[in-house]
Amino acid sequence: MTLLDVKNLTLQFDTDEGRITAVDDVSFEINPGEVLGLVGESGSGKSVTAKSLMHLNPPNAVYSPESSITLNLEDQSVDVLSLRQGSQDMQIVRGGSISMIFQEPMASFAPAITIGDQMVEQLVLHKAISEKEAMKISVEMLERVGISDPSERFNQYAFELSGGMRQRAMIAMALSTRPKLLIADEPTTALDVTIQAQVIDLMKDLVTDFNMGIIFITHDLGVIAQTADRVAVMYLGKLVEQGPVRNVIRDPAHPYTQGLLNALPKLEDLDAPLTPVPGDIPSPLERPPGCVFHTRCSAVEDRCSLSVPEMKALDRKRSAACFVAADQRGAA
Amino acid sequence: MYQFVRFAAVRASLAIFTLVLVSFIVFSLMELVPGDCAERYLAFKNSQGAQISIADIEAERVRLGLDKPYIQRWGTWIINAFQGEFGDSCILRLNISQLLGQKIWLSVGICLASLLVAYMIAVPVGIIAATSRNPYLNNGLRLVSYLGLALPNFLLALMIMLFSTVMFGDSLTGLFSKEYRDADWSYDRVMDFLSHVWLPVFILGWSATAFAIQTVRALMSDEISKLYVTAAAARGVSGSRLLLRYPARHALSPIINSLGFDLNRIFNELPIVALILTLTEAGSLLIESLARSNDQQLAGAIIFFLTGSIVAINFITDILLAVIDPRIRHSIMG
Repeated sequence: MTLLDVKNLTLQFDTDEGRITAVDDVSFEINPGEVLGLVGESGSGKSVTAKSLMHLNPPNAVYSPESSITLNLEDQSVDVLSLRQGSQDMQIVRGGSISMIFQEPMASFAPAITIGDQMVEQLVLHKAISEKEAMKISVEMLERVGISDPSERFNQYAFELSGGMRQRAMIAMALSTRPKLLIADEPTTALDVTIQAQVIDLMKDLVTDFNMGIIFITHDLGVIAQTADRVAVMYLGKLVEQGPVRNVIRDPAHPYTQGLLNALPKLEDLDAPLTPVPGDIPSPLERPPGCVFHTRCSAVEDRCSLSVPEMKALDRKRSAACFVAADQRGAA
Repeated sequence: MYQFVRFAAVRASLAIFTLVLVSFIVFSLMELVPGDCAERYLAFKNSQGAQISIADIEAERVRLGLDKPYIQRWGTWIINAFQGEFGDSCILRLNISQLLGQKIWLSVGICLASLLVAYMIAVPVGIIAATSRNPYLNNGLRLVSYLGLALPNFLLALMIMLFSTVMFGDSLTGLFSKEYRDADWSYDRVMDFLSHVWLPVFILGWSATAFAIQTVRALMSDEISKLYVTAAAARGVSGSRLLLRYPARHALSPIINSLGFDLNRIFNELPIVALILTLTEAGSLLIESLARSNDQQLAGAIIFFLTGSIVAINFITDILLAVIDPRIRHSIMG
């Protein structure tokens, strides 16, 4: 059974300039114990997608009627988008069965509340345990993620810890309630490379230990190659390619994925010029008609600006939304 | 704990130092005014019909100690001031402490009450305004705030008096009814006082409230959009707990900081409001002593009292901030 099912997720924001489409007909699923990498440039809708999984988007977010997000737990299925703020089931989703960690660990801890207080608060909210037990679990979790002097750190504030330490504490807090799914929104982007590797190793360990699903959001394909089982590539609110991580990275089907991989600096040839994806990501107010990527695509054809390519299953267990790729690889 | 006591002690001595400095400035300003107390008093006697000579003035100077050097006189003044003893009023020849007596406490009380009322209204209203998306509520509050900021207090006082006089035949002036004006404190006198004092408190608190609502709303909107609030929501914190424990608590520090500033503003506005409402408190006495009788001794004492209260409230807010915000505590404890 899948853990989380996202179907036809379409999300628009009501703003003064009109309705802005942030996520456009996105479908994906995630299984227990699986790491799904969600990749794309800034503004591609990765974070907004992640936030809708916990119904965390601001009140001006409008979901289309076809959108559905289903969380399959052992004893029940929760329809996330129908949850009301503050309801009992919302509690199950937020911080109970799904936890989220953010890009900036400093900004995601409340500055004037101790780390321990915030951990205990989450545990007491979700588990039928006393504060004392919650304290014990929190200190154990801090120790588990490799924080030295956990009982001392427990009483400290986020600003008293180093960057890597803060992200470890964040992970400890997120996992303390034993969630089924962890959403990691660029968890390593703000860390330097050595700390980044430590944190990624830690997260991989914990997935195996806890048998969780993880959605790992990043713009860094190198990190994805190391961590994810499957990868989903987003561009301007659309899912453009999805498949097993090795297949997608070794042999990308969608021109956008190809562009992203080409854009990576190559360590073996330092003189090679950088090859960015040409052009800029268009303003969400002026979404291109047809395939959203056709304004920057190197393989663009006339039909691309006329109709929207559907997500089609291709070779090697992967699917892509591209007319050209479907013709070349013979869509099933 | 030891560091905290040390911090408080350092702050307290800084506050006292500030007060001494202020007293020096106040005293110097009193000196800068042409003429001295002896001349002024004898000029006053002269205007009453008495014959005076230069020798009289000199004798009066020696009697008042005005022939001594400037710094020495300031030294005596400040030492006495800290003991609550300000000498005699120049013109009235009455002991200033007795003259001011309860008036100064009435002034301080009115100002603090205005401040208290302002923040008791502004904090909840500001928080609600920051979280509400109701356009009517928001625009209504904006209108009230602009009125509060734009409408001068004395105009508001005059309008209320006019309205009350026309409608009820009562001009709402003074702090006591006639029969209680010089009576001893009693239950009835307190009730009478309360039935009068709400008006100056309301008028003085009005613009402070408007100002504070804007501050609280801006700070709250700022805090609410921060990542740690989203992160707390993602952990399952919701409702008023999410609002009060997270953004409201963190918006508190700058709000406490603005207390001293607001008290200062209220003090500045008090004398004019007091004059219009003919309140018998120290603010109107200050205007009287400065503008009409040029009584520097009295004016100096009042200004010293007012700055003293502002220094005191700033000291209290400093300590409060350190108690509330761990980042500030951390920076002082090292």
